[in-house]
Amino acid sequence: MLYVENLKKSYMVGGQPVPVLKGVSLQLAQGEFAAVMGPSGSGKTTLLNCISCYIAADSGQITLGGEKLADLGEEALAKVRSRKLGFVFQDFMLLDGLTVRDNILLPRIIAGGVDDEGERYADQLCEAFGIGHIKGKYPAEISGGEKQRCAVARALINHPLLILADEPTGNLDSKSSRTVIETFLQARRELGATIFMVTHDSFAASFCDRVILLQDGTVSDQLSRGGDSRGAFQDRLLRAIREMSGGDSDAVLA
Amino acid sequence: MRSWRDLDRTLGRQGRKNDLLLLLCCFFSVLLITAYVTMMRSPTVLTVLPEGGDSRKQVMMIFVLAVIGCGAFTTYASGLYFRAKSRQTGILMALGASRRQLRRMLYRDVGFISLSACAAGALLGTPLAWGLWQLFRLFVVDTEQMRLTLDPQAYLFALAFSLFVVAMVFLMARRFLRRTNIIDIVNEARRSEPIREVKSWYGRVGILLMVLGGFLGYMAPGFFVTRLHWYPPEGLTAIFYAPLFAGLYMVLLHTVVNGWRRGRSRYHNLVPNSMMKFQGRQTVRNMLVITVLLAGAYFAAFYAPMLGVGNALSIEERPVDYAYHYRSDQNVPREAEVRTLAKERGVTITSWAEAPMARLGVDGADQVETEGPLGTTWEEVYLTLQRSELFLSESAWNTLTGDTLDLVPGTVSGVFDRDGNGNGVFTDQISLVTNVVTGKTLSVRAAEGQKNDMLFGRFILDDGDYAAITEGLPETWREEMVFFNVENCEDTYYFAKALFYEIVDRSGEEVEVYDAWDPVVRQRNIAEEGYYFLDPEYLAQSGFTTIDYGQRDSSEFRNYWAYMPHFRVLDQNDFVRTMAVFLMLFIFIALICFAAVLVISYTRSLTVALTGRQMYEDLGRLGASRNYLRETARSQISRVFFTPSLVGTAAIYALYTMILYFNGDPAGWTSGELAGMTACLLVVAAGSGMLYGFYRFTRRKVYTMLGI
Repeated sequence: MLYVENLKKSYMVGGQPVPVLKGVSLQLAQGEFAAVMGPSGSGKTTLLNCISCYIAADSGQITLGGEKLADLGEEALAKVRSRKLGFVFQDFMLLDGLTVRDNILLPRIIAGGVDDEGERYADQLCEAFGIGHIKGKYPAEISGGEKQRCAVARALINHPLLILADEPTGNLDSKSSRTVIETFLQARRELGATIFMVTHDSFAASFCDRVILLQDGTVSDQLSRGGDSRGAFQDRLLRAIREMSGGDSDAVLA
Repeated sequence: MRSWRDLDRTLGRQGRKNDLLLLLCCFFSVLLITAYVTMMRSPTVLTVLPEGGDSRKQVMMIFVLAVIGCGAFTTYASGLYFRAKSRQTGILMALGASRRQLRRMLYRDVGFISLSACAAGALLGTPLAWGLWQLFRLFVVDTEQMRLTLDPQAYLFALAFSLFVVAMVFLMARRFLRRTNIIDIVNEARRSEPIREVKSWYGRVGILLMVLGGFLGYMAPGFFVTRLHWYPPEGLTAIFYAPLFAGLYMVLLHTVVNGWRRGRSRYHNLVPNSMMKFQGRQTVRNMLVITVLLAGAYFAAFYAPMLGVGNALSIEERPVDYAYHYRSDQNVPREAEVRTLAKERGVTITSWAEAPMARLGVDGADQVETEGPLGTTWEEVYLTLQRSELFLSESAWNTLTGDTLDLVPGTVSGVFDRDGNGNGVFTDQISLVTNVVTGKTLSVRAAEGQKNDMLFGRFILDDGDYAAITEGLPETWREEMVFFNVENCEDTYYFAKALFYEIVDRSGEEVEVYDAWDPVVRQRNIAEEGYYFLDPEYLAQSGFTTIDYGQRDSSEFRNYWAYMPHFRVLDQNDFVRTMAVFLMLFIFIALICFAAVLVISYTRSLTVALTGRQMYEDLGRLGASRNYLRETARSQISRVFFTPSLVGTAAIYALYTMILYFNGDPAGWTSGELAGMTACLLVVAAGSGMLYGFYRFTRRKVYTMLGI
C-alpha cells in the first residue's frame, strides 16, 4: 500500500549539503501497524515529513495506493494529504478556536464540506475513543491524552489510506500513552486503518506488527512481532537497539 | 460547523485580536502620514516656508523620516500578524488545505484589514490635522495667516503611502503562502531570530561613526558650495549622514546584545538579556525607528523655544526701543508727527536721534552659475559695481549710537550684530564704493568692524569721504534712520502699532519691496536678462513671498518688507502672532512624531508580553516570585523605551548643538543660542517626563496581560 524506494534527502547547513536520508526503502501493507525507531538525527521525522508530502525528497520514489507522489503538483499533493492521509502529531496540532468535534471534522471541511454522514461518523469516533463527553469542549479545556485521542479521531475522519503519527506519545504520561496506542489498535481493528508511527518509545512500539530501525539515514534492521507477546517483543526491541548503539540503549533513545 | 465558510468565520472570530492589531497599526501609520502631508502641502504653510529655504527642507526631512518610520512599523506589524497566523495556516496546510483555499481566506482578510485601515486613516488624517490646528488657534494663537487651507494634492501622497501599506501587506501574505515547508510554517511562531556575535567594540565605534556622520553630513553641503564651487543635486550631500545611521544601528545592536555595564553579575538580567537577544533583528529595527522618530520629534520641538528665546533675548537687548528707516522721498511720519502721535497716545518720548544714510554701489565678486548634468557649478567674477549697500557717515553713527567713532579717511567699517557675527553679510571685503548716480568712485580699505543689532549690515565711512561720495545723490538713493526711546516701553503697544500702520500706509508703492531688493543688482539683471527676480511682479514666480501693504500684519510682510520698523514692544507682543504658522507647524510635527514614538513603543512592549507569555508561565512554575517576574518584564520594556529615548535625545541634542556652533561666522554660540539651548533642555525634560509616564502606563498594561 505504501512503497518507499531509495529515498534521499539532504539539508543545507552552512552552505553545505548534509545528507539525512541516504536511500531509505520500505513498504507497508494494508492494515499494518508499523513503527520507525532510531536515535536522534537518524532521519525518522524527515522520513515521515517526506511521506506526508510536507517536504520534497531529493530523489527516490514514494508510492501511496498506487499513486507516485513525486509526479504530483502542489494542488494534487494537498488533495493527497486531505483525502488519503491522516496525521497525528506530538503536540496534537489542534486549533484552539475550534471544539473537539469541530477539530475532528476539520479534514472533512477542508476536503469539501461536512454532511450528515460526516457528523454521525465524527460522533461515532468520539464515542469509540471515549471523548464523546468532551466533544463540545475546546482544546484548552481537556487533558493531553484527550487531545491526542481527538487528534487520532481527526486523522480517521476521511477514511484515509494511511495514518502518519509523529511521536504521538511524546508529550503524554504512561497512562495516556497506553490509551492512545490502544486507540490506534482499535482504529486498525475496527476501521482497518494502516498506521505508520515514528517513536522513541519502545513501549509504544512494542504494540506494532513491525518496527523499522533507522540509523544514519538508512534502514539498519526490521523486527516483526510475529507470535511474540508484547513484553517479549519489547525485550527484543531493546536488545536490537542496544546492539545498534553499541551497548547503550538509553543513550540512543534518550 | 460544516463548511469552509463556517470554518473561516469561526477562525476569523478567534483571530480578531490579531486582526485588530494589524488594522490599528496600518490605520495609525496612514493617519499620521496623511495628517503630516496635509499640513506640509497646505498653502497656509507653503506660503510662509520659502521654497528652497531651510525650514521647508527640515519639514521635508522629518517627513521622510516619518514615512520611513511608519513604513518600517507597518512592515513589523504585518510580520507579527503573519507570525501569529502561522500555526493555524500550517495546521490547515498539513491537514490538506490547498494554497488556493488559504490564499483566498488570507487575501480577503488582509485585503479587508489593510484597505479599511488605510481608507479610515486617509479619511481621518485631514480632520486630525485640521482639528489640531483649530486647537492651536483656539488655545495658542489665532491670526489671519493661521486660517488653514488645504491642497487636494496632499491626498495623492496619502494615497501613495496607503498603496505602499496595502502592497506591502499583500506581498508579505504572498511570501508567507509561497513557503513550501509546512513544518517551518507551523514552527514560525516559535522561531527566534538570534543576532550573530556582536564584537565588544561595536558600541564605541558606533558612537564614533555617529559623531563623524553628524559632522560630515552637516559640513558637506558647505564644503561642496564654498570649496568645490558646486551645488550638488538635492539629496547627494545627505549621503554624508550615512555613517550616523550606521553608527546608530551599531550602538543599538551593542546595547541589545552586549549591554554597556561590565563587571556586574551576568546572571542578574539573564532572562531579559536572553529574550532581547533572541528577538534580535526586530528589536534593533524597532529601536532604530523609535530613535529616529524621537530625534525628529525633538528636532521639531526645539524650533519654537529656540526661535522664541533667541528672538526674545535679541529684542530685549536692542539698544533702542523704536527704530525705523525710510527712503528720503517717502512721506512717512517725521519727528514732529511722531511726537504728536505719542502725545495723543499718552506716550513720553525720552530721546530722539536721526541720521541720514546713503545707498551706494560697491564692488565684489558675483557668482556666475553654470547648469550641468551633475548640478550647478559656479565661479566668481569680480565686478566693480556688484551690489549696493547702505552707508552712514561716522557722525551719523555717533549720533545714533552715542559712540565717538573716528575713522581714517579711505577706510570703511562694517556693522556686525551684537555678537560680532557677520551672518554671511561680510563674506567679501569692499574696496571700491560708487555713487551710482554720478559715477564717482572712492577706493577704501577695511577698518575694524562695529557692533549694533539695529544697524547690522550697514557700512560706515569717514565724514569727509561720505560727504564727497554722496554729493549729487538724489533722495531716492538716500534714507533716514530714526532711533527713539520712550518711557515705560512695555505700555506703548498701541502707539507702536499706530505708528507702524502710519508708516506702512504712507509709504509709496515704489518701496513696497522685498528686503533683499537691490537697485544696482536690478539694473544689471534687467540689462542681462530683461527682468529682475525681486521686482514685485516676479516675486511669486521666483519662489519668494510677495510684499503687500494690505497684508501688513502677516508674517511674510513683517519678516520680509525692506522698511519694516523695529519697535521693541510691537515685536515682543506680536512675535507669536507673526511667527504663528512656523511655530504651530513645528509643534504639530513634533506632536505627530511623538505620537508615532508612543504607538510604536507601546506595540513593541505588548509584543514582549505576547511572545513571552509562555516563558513567564514557565518561570512562575519554576518558582519565580511575582517581584522577579515583574522585574524581568520591566527590564525588557524599559529597554524598548529608554535605549532609543536616550540615544535619540542625546544624538539630536548634540547635533543641534553642533549646528548652532558652526552656523555663525565666526563659529561659536551666541547668548541667544545658549539661552535657546537651555530652553530646549526644558523641552527634553518635559518630553522625557511624558515618555516616562507613558512607559509606566505601558508597564502596568503588560503586567496585567501577563497576570503578574
